[in-house]
Amino acid sequence: MVYLATFYWGWLLGSLLLGFAMGWIAVVHRGQGVSKRTARVLAFLVAALIGAALGRIVPGRPGYWLDLGLIMFALYLVGCSAGSWLRDRVLSGNAKGA
Amino acid sequence: MGGLFRWSSKWWPGLIPLVILWVIAAWTSTGPLESDLAARSAAALKDSVLDKGRIAVEGRDVTFAADAFSEQGRRDAVASVLAVPGVRLVNDETRLVPEAAPFVWSAERDVARVTLSGSSPLPASRSRLMEAARASLGGVEVVDQMNLARGAPKGFDSAALLLVDQVSKLKDGKITISDDKVSLSGMARDLGGREAIAAALKNLPEGYSVAANEIKAPPYIFQAYKDPVAVTLTLTGYVPDKNTHGTIVAAAGRKFFSEKVVDNLKVSVGAPSGFAGAVVPALGALSRLSTGTLVVSDREVKLAGDAFYDAAPGQIRNNLLKDFPQGWQVKADISVKPAAAPVDATVCQQLFSELLGKGTVRFETGRSTLDPDSAGLLDRLIETALRCPTANIEVEGHTDAVGDAAANQSLSEKRAQAVVDYLVKAGLPASRFTAVGFGSAQPVATNDTEEGKAQNRRIEFVVKE
Repeated sequence: MVYLATFYWGWLLGSLLLGFAMGWIAVVHRGQGVSKRTARVLAFLVAALIGAALGRIVPGRPGYWLDLGLIMFALYLVGCSAGSWLRDRVLSGNAKGA
Repeated sequence: MGGLFRWSSKWWPGLIPLVILWVIAAWTSTGPLESDLAARSAAALKDSVLDKGRIAVEGRDVTFAADAFSEQGRRDAVASVLAVPGVRLVNDETRLVPEAAPFVWSAERDVARVTLSGSSPLPASRSRLMEAARASLGGVEVVDQMNLARGAPKGFDSAALLLVDQVSKLKDGKITISDDKVSLSGMARDLGGREAIAAALKNLPEGYSVAANEIKAPPYIFQAYKDPVAVTLTLTGYVPDKNTHGTIVAAAGRKFFSEKVVDNLKVSVGAPSGFAGAVVPALGALSRLSTGTLVVSDREVKLAGDAFYDAAPGQIRNNLLKDFPQGWQVKADISVKPAAAPVDATVCQQLFSELLGKGTVRFETGRSTLDPDSAGLLDRLIETALRCPTANIEVEGHTDAVGDAAANQSLSEKRAQAVVDYLVKAGLPASRFTAVGFGSAQPVATNDTEEGKAQNRRIEFVVKE
């Protein structure tokens, strides 16, 4: 993993920034969110993919692509969390000030 | 934290660009990643001893095939590939190099090239053997037909290196190691090569033994050529040692009284036994020919040339058979040279004086037995006597002044008679010759020096009209 991170830090940074931007927007977004049921299905799917990656079940190139996708997804989530949290802090700060 | 869950339900739109980003990343990165991992894996295997190593990378999975030389080496190689950062798993297609039983290696030399074949234990020893062969053989082409196998006996490398060195001493032949047995066959390049190889085999590593050494030596050649035009005797070929060399050259000097001896002999081991005992009488036979060649090849002696008179070929043949050591073969192809034109008595006398000026008829010390070394001179005297068939000849014997005068007188008479007997045996009429002895009464030099005494001990031919 460390090897992948150092080898392709550009792509990973891209995912992180993308996540950050999405997280930033998500706080004030008015659109429809994912239903709890869908979220659970998605979480289960991701867990299955992580299991497959750790179990090294998928061979060859698809295996590498799976690893790459999961790492990018993980960084995306980290970016989203950071973005949403920061945006929330900014908004609540403004509200207090106003 | 509750907020985070609420917000996270709205994070999904970003997944669309993320998937696009992922596809691009996968598209562009797979190739470079694979080649980088292949390079790193190869670097990790740099110090492993392997044959036919092959690395294929798909994604982060390495398929690694190779022939290893030990189970430990095989496991270590797989582990070192697995330890390369970024490698996810290794498809292990390694195996052990097949074991050879018996473990056979050979080096064969023919006219054009040297071929190394059979089994070699490691790539390093294989290349070392090739290098050693190239170094010791100079410009000769060396062909590598070796394969790699396990099961080499202990000390194989040093044994094989020693034997590669011996190949340079062969003209053609084959050297084989089968487990710890060495067998050799073929022909040595030089005289003494066979002996040198046998000596080197004593340095084989412990445990190795020579099963068969059938290296043959090249023929041991000695040649002598008597050239009547240049008045030379040319000696070429080999003699076993310095002493024999001296003996042979000295004998040639005594037997060939008028010829200059050109000595091109080389000393080399490998002579057949009884070499000097055969070569010296053969040179004596050659000295009795007007022109001739002597070739001694191993134990076979070939003599060819022209004798001076009709009775000579038979005498020469008989003497050779009588004098030769056992186990030697003689082939004498002797003809008689055409008789020289007759001359008158005065010329005859001149020819006799000339011959006796160059050489002396020798006898055994204190006795009247002719020295075989004088056979060549006597034949020339006989040839001359045949050229003036009407002249009567007085054969005079002289001694030095050492010892009793009466004894010297008797010795000189007997010696003159011995010469006459020899001439008669050669086919000349006895009536033409008179043997006379003068003892020490007619010295031609002082009797005070050894040199002078030697000059006084002589036979003279005097033509009587």
